Amino acid sequence: MSRVKATVNFIHAWQHADEIADEVDAELCFHLQMRTSANIAEGMTPDEAQLAAWQSFGDFDRIKLSCCEIRRGLPFNMKPLRMGLYIAIACLAGGFALVAVNLPHHNLFGVLWQLAAIAVLMCSFLVGRRKQ
Amino acid sequence: MTKGKAGLLQGTLDMLILKALALGPLHGYGIGQRIAQISGDELRVEEGSLYPGLYRLEHRGWIDSEWDVSENNQRAKFYKLTRSGRKQLIIEEKNWERLAGATMKALRAS
Repeated sequence: MSRVKATVNFIHAWQHADEIADEVDAELCFHLQMRTSANIAEGMTPDEAQLAAWQSFGDFDRIKLSCCEIRRGLPFNMKPLRMGLYIAIACLAGGFALVAVNLPHHNLFGVLWQLAAIAVLMCSFLVGRRKQ
Repeated sequence: MTKGKAGLLQGTLDMLILKALALGPLHGYGIGQRIAQISGDELRVEEGSLYPGLYRLEHRGWIDSEWDVSENNQRAKFYKLTRSGRKQLIIEEKNWERLAGATMKALRAS
């Protein structure tokens, strides 16, 4: 699957979450039907076969949820993106701080500028912490 | 896991799925059957864990899927190996051989 197709699938999975859930449901149900048929062929009664199929499958809802979550996952590695964001915010914070230092501190604009610099700096720390 | 059958080591499920699909496209149920078949009925994949594994591999681009009609005329999702999946299988096989060899060497040490 190409990166483009993976991205299209990712967008489709978010736009049509119900459709994806139905698709996963249909796939898992097909598996259970096949297992039930195999159990009947081995000599079980239809009821026994169905019960055994469900038991051997495990927690249907949990598995379905897990499959849907994987389908909705990002189609690329988040690390480089987060690193880029961290560097960009750090540069922005540096720029803000540099301007703030050179501004007069006795007017409202200067104080607001300093507060903005502190906010950007805090953002960079938060992004940095999430990265770890 | 059926009693008396060998359990799967962590990380081997992906390799076994890729190997099963290297022999041709299959639906999820068929993949479980093929793994049992090619392992001489020694390995049984936990049926539930197979599907998250398939979705994970598809997400990584190692397998692709499409809906088709199964052998019993029902709609089923068929999986096939992609080119990058085939490359990944070669890597996984080499890693596995190295790990198995090292483990045997360690076990034989006196």
